[in-house]
Amino acid sequence: MTALKGLAGKILRVNLNNGTIIKEPTPQEVFANYIGARGVGAYLLLKELRPATDPLGPENKLIFLTGPLEGTLAPGANKITVTFRSPLTGTYSFSLCGGHLAPELKFAGYDGIIIEGRAPHPVYLWIDGDQAMLRDASHLWGKLTHATEDAIRSELKDQSVKVACIGPAGENLSRFACIQSDYHREFGRGGAGAVMGSKNLKAIAVRGTGGVEVADPEALASLAEKTYEILGSNLKARARRRYGTPEMIDGTNALGYWGTRNFSTGYFEEAEKINAASMEENIFVGHMSCYACPIACGKVSYIKDGPYAGTRIEGPEFESTGLLGANCGVADLAALVKAVEICDVYGLDTMSAGAVVSLAMECYERGILTLKDTDGIDLRFGNGEALVAILQKIAQREGLGDLLAEGSRIAAEKLGVPGLAMQVKGQELPTYEPRGIKGMGLTYAISPRGAHHMIAPTMGAEAAGDGSQRLDYRGKAALVREMQLLMAVVDSLALCSSMRFALGLKEQLELYRAVTGLALDEAAARLKAERIVNLERLFNLREGFDRKDDRLPPRMLKEPMPSGPSQGQVVELEPMLDEYYDLMGWDRQGRPTEEKLAQLGLEYVWQEVSW
Amino acid sequence: MNATNVLVVYPEKCVGCRLCEQWCSFKHEGQVNPGKARIRVVRVHSKYVNIPVTCMQCAKSPCIAACREGALSKSPETGAILVNEETCIGCRRCIRACPYGAIGIDKDKRVVLICDLCQGNPQCVAHCREGAIQYVPLAVADRGPRDAYAEVAAAEIQGGIR
Repeated sequence: MTALKGLAGKILRVNLNNGTIIKEPTPQEVFANYIGARGVGAYLLLKELRPATDPLGPENKLIFLTGPLEGTLAPGANKITVTFRSPLTGTYSFSLCGGHLAPELKFAGYDGIIIEGRAPHPVYLWIDGDQAMLRDASHLWGKLTHATEDAIRSELKDQSVKVACIGPAGENLSRFACIQSDYHREFGRGGAGAVMGSKNLKAIAVRGTGGVEVADPEALASLAEKTYEILGSNLKARARRRYGTPEMIDGTNALGYWGTRNFSTGYFEEAEKINAASMEENIFVGHMSCYACPIACGKVSYIKDGPYAGTRIEGPEFESTGLLGANCGVADLAALVKAVEICDVYGLDTMSAGAVVSLAMECYERGILTLKDTDGIDLRFGNGEALVAILQKIAQREGLGDLLAEGSRIAAEKLGVPGLAMQVKGQELPTYEPRGIKGMGLTYAISPRGAHHMIAPTMGAEAAGDGSQRLDYRGKAALVREMQLLMAVVDSLALCSSMRFALGLKEQLELYRAVTGLALDEAAARLKAERIVNLERLFNLREGFDRKDDRLPPRMLKEPMPSGPSQGQVVELEPMLDEYYDLMGWDRQGRPTEEKLAQLGLEYVWQEVSW
Repeated sequence: MNATNVLVVYPEKCVGCRLCEQWCSFKHEGQVNPGKARIRVVRVHSKYVNIPVTCMQCAKSPCIAACREGALSKSPETGAILVNEETCIGCRRCIRACPYGAIGIDKDKRVVLICDLCQGNPQCVAHCREGAIQYVPLAVADRGPRDAYAEVAAAEIQGGIR
């Protein structure tokens, strides 16, 4: 086949066992079949990993991939995925990072990096265009993420080098350690940072000095201009620009689906202390943008006084505010900012971190954990100081923190209260409380990487109008399926999901054609998306996951929500699951049928990978 | 076309999206290639700021003075520095002479890259959504920065802090 435009043409394969680095031609057909980033990652991980690979063993891989649009005029094309077997869930997982890393990798001449093995001592990967090498990182081991980035830029004598690195949490194999980039952008979920730590890989530094060629530059330029114009007047985009993702707080809380105090309810009484308006008034001091973004949703926050005076971060994001704030009952903005800073500099996923702390807080209030267990931290809901103190312990695996660093599922099992861990397949719930928005419950249950809202973000459609539709479970299976397919395209193009304010599937495919030269109609794109979703499912099926694992915490299924606008609700999961599997062409155990695989042209792939 | 227009940069407004770099290289090279952009945005991570760096159309042009090959000249129409790619030997003396570090290198042609103001319609300005770079008559190019300073001073007098 003719080469797709927009691709850099090479993939780096780095074997840390023996230090060999190979440049492989980008597999054009795989990119044509699975678009890029997430889709290509799903295929490669399924192909390259043997069943039962230890997530923290040298056989696991970190597959970093950009999409065809990165490094072009395509607006908001700045994402890079990392695909791996997750130490938090044991499932297939991928995580997306924005910032400036993805385009830099393309400018350096690569569409992706595959990391294999385990280095005998700490190293970092330095990619300087054509040259790629491993460098000793012994002097960086133990450093916080910001200090690591600074040190690497200093020793490479170039402040514009882009860096992705782990902090101490990744080094000490916290199961929800993230990979940090550009100070405050992350490969957040699923524990990719722990996988990187297990490989003794402290960082990846990239410098590119080339360009990216596209098929139809003029068409792309006009599509970009059109997108800027739409986003300039789109109300949602304007709110996102002004407040960042916290613009979603008020709507979420007002309809009673904001996870609060370890998901004991969906309404946070003190939301206005930590909502977007409060952030704007009290902590926002500037804006930060990822590459090529016409929105610039990143907000710089600064704490002027009090015990955390001088703390400066980019954030807090909506999910961080939910899980470290509402879900811990914390309405103290300064403590919230400090909590985000701790997560970012130690390299912890803010979402799982918040959920783990909320679990510990509930255990403390129930007497399952005592002051002695917490080394004197008064870990009740709402105590911002306690939140900050326990996060420090988690990040450094001190005392109780050592247990909590294992994630909420393992921690709750060891504490004898597995039902109190608000997780699916080991990954902690995002901030949308599923009893108050039923489709999200189904999304969490069927997500291939454990609970994740962006697998099928149905909340917008569910909360539309007067919002009453959100409490109806009927019809949600079809909505989840639809959103799941659409997101598989967005994530494989590696577009920021906020671009959906201006770009529907049709417009995304126009961008794709202008960049790659390959025309895809919507039906063809949906078919590719369905293939991707099925590949993800097949990886998990190979590891023994099926319907029994597509669960929600018992609280979501059995305990009616006690307060707020969604009071009295539970999630009707079983009928939604039945309907969803039927729509997907899977059997009632959630396994893709042979007919379905044949229809998708995946039967040979499945035979090949069934070891 | 206004022969006396100059670029004015407001780093405090820059968010670091680098759309300016994109459109600069697209206009000049037909592709996005930050290495060939005549404007660069430097993010100072530890300070949470982004600094757009490009030619400021200095009246005395230290770059022209530094060039021993006569490769640099000032456009009579726009006042932009023009690089004669035939005579430029790629010695990079102008890069050292520029007080802003605003001059880049075309690694393929081995000549220097300097903002040419896009013949009077600078694409960085046209695509900056933040107003962080503007193209204004020299006679009033001092006013925006002065207003920006006054705003900060006023806030400080009122006891506010940015």
